[in-house]
Amino acid sequence: MSTQVVGAVERAQRIKTLWLIAGIVLLGGLALASWIAPENLSPPPGSFKERMAASYLLPWQRWPFGTDGMGIGLLEYALQGARIVTFPAVVAGLLVSSLATLSGLSRCADIGWTDRALQVFTELVGALPRLVVILVVALAVPREWRSLYPIGIAWALLAAPGAMDEAAATAERLGGARFVEALRAHGFDAVRIYVYHIVWLNLRSVLVRQGAEVMMQVVFLEIAMSYLAAARNEPSFTHGDNLHSWASLLYDGYTSLVGGVPMYHALGLGLGLVFVVAFMAQAFRMSARAR
Amino acid sequence: MRIIAAVLLPLIVPFVITEILWALPGDPIDIMCPPGLCTGQAQMAQRLCMADGAWHFYSCWLSHAVELDFGRSLRVAQGEHVWVLLRESLPTTAALVGASLLPVFVLSSLASANLLPRALDYLWQAVGLVPSVILSLLAAAYITISYGAGSGDGVPAMLRLGFGALVLACADGTLAGAVIGTRSVFDEEIKARYIQIAMLRGESTFLNALPNVTPALIGQFRGRVLHIMSGAVIVEVVLDISGLGDLLWDGTLLQDFPVVLAAAFAFSLMSGALLLVQAVAEVAVEMHIRRAPAVPHDAGEAVPA
Repeated sequence: MSTQVVGAVERAQRIKTLWLIAGIVLLGGLALASWIAPENLSPPPGSFKERMAASYLLPWQRWPFGTDGMGIGLLEYALQGARIVTFPAVVAGLLVSSLATLSGLSRCADIGWTDRALQVFTELVGALPRLVVILVVALAVPREWRSLYPIGIAWALLAAPGAMDEAAATAERLGGARFVEALRAHGFDAVRIYVYHIVWLNLRSVLVRQGAEVMMQVVFLEIAMSYLAAARNEPSFTHGDNLHSWASLLYDGYTSLVGGVPMYHALGLGLGLVFVVAFMAQAFRMSARAR
Repeated sequence: MRIIAAVLLPLIVPFVITEILWALPGDPIDIMCPPGLCTGQAQMAQRLCMADGAWHFYSCWLSHAVELDFGRSLRVAQGEHVWVLLRESLPTTAALVGASLLPVFVLSSLASANLLPRALDYLWQAVGLVPSVILSLLAAAYITISYGAGSGDGVPAMLRLGFGALVLACADGTLAGAVIGTRSVFDEEIKARYIQIAMLRGESTFLNALPNVTPALIGQFRGRVLHIMSGAVIVEVVLDISGLGDLLWDGTLLQDFPVVLAAAFAFSLMSGALLLVQAVAEVAVEMHIRRAPAVPHDAGEAVPA
């Protein structure tokens, strides 16, 4: 019986490792894509006739994703979109995880005022629809400084109270200050107690899940905001005019659905990239799932 | 605390936007009315109370807002009274949010009564992973293909509202959160000792647990309404529904500060009202529990021997 239990635990551990590898590979892929993304889109050289001949090519006609109406490879759109979202999303995820860690640790260290401060913050900021706050932030950022960073950080701050509350509740279930006292009685030092026992062994699943969720939400927020701007034929709040979001792929794909423009492959690529981000977040969540 | 937040919220939001307007590089009146595009900045600054700093503008704006005078739109609908724009858009957003709450309320009620199979949780979670912009886009494509791009009245308008409500209910984990969240609150409560005693007495677990879980459920419900209101901005723009979210988006995109101020103020009023409702409901539940009402014996399920 005990062998079966050990076997099941080991199998679960192997599956979690596979999820972690999948998440890291996808995040690494996005980071690599953002690193090699071109500054500007490059229309094919040659005469107008040659450029027209290179437009609306399907993936098997122009590897790997085909081209748009100007003959530009959709790969460039995918790379530029990754450049817009990857690092701001990671920063937002890390910010939420850090704030949740602090909240969990403060509950274990029995620092009372943090709970009160968190409650006030949650009541005021959490009482507003998040997108309304995000739009006010977008309005505040001067056009020449357009970037996803301020919006991503604002979103992370809005999502933080929920994550902090969950981390604090998890720390409370551990026993809070009594848990720390018990470990001190075993002779462990503060670093081992707080970093290893509390954060790594107990808060990890909450921190990774919340961080991964916010990361995904920031990417989806960027796509939504860029799509809405494209629908109004206005520049996006999230990136400069030289860059193109994944929303451009979805917008082109939408015109193919309703207008008969042969850009179904753009829609497929846009949806595929959304799926990749959702899968990556799910992979990180599964890899850190508590036993 | 909650009542204070409810009162402060509609005051803080326009104040923050005012401060942002003054913190931006350049003169606020030049941001509202760029010198190259329009003239008469001095008169406009006097008329909009912008000549004497942020605080004067804020107090002036607030005193006018109390009388439902939010000024005129600068770019979204040039010259139109913002109150007229708000009055036209508010009912649409209210209908959209209300309609989207219907499936959320029904399914979470079924989940709380254990009438919804737990196996379906994976379905809600899978649908919830899809962002609202994607689902709205598919809905918009269907309506445009079926009824044409300019279809804004009659059946297409109803379809836009219906699909919008469905998207808001399903996307971004709303339904999954509602169903699983509500059920988990009941699951936790049912572990309590008083519920086990109630079961031994032949009383209903649901009716016993309900008063104690209601404050948590009200809090969750307020969170869902806010989440849906937030998503309404995306859904309204993509599905071409002329609501408050659509107005706020256009105002932000075109830097039409009177529209943004008024729309954000309207959102903060709704949020404040939700906070008040939650506070009142919590007090009512507390009073109900203190009255210690009897739970009818025949309302419960039979206790297994």
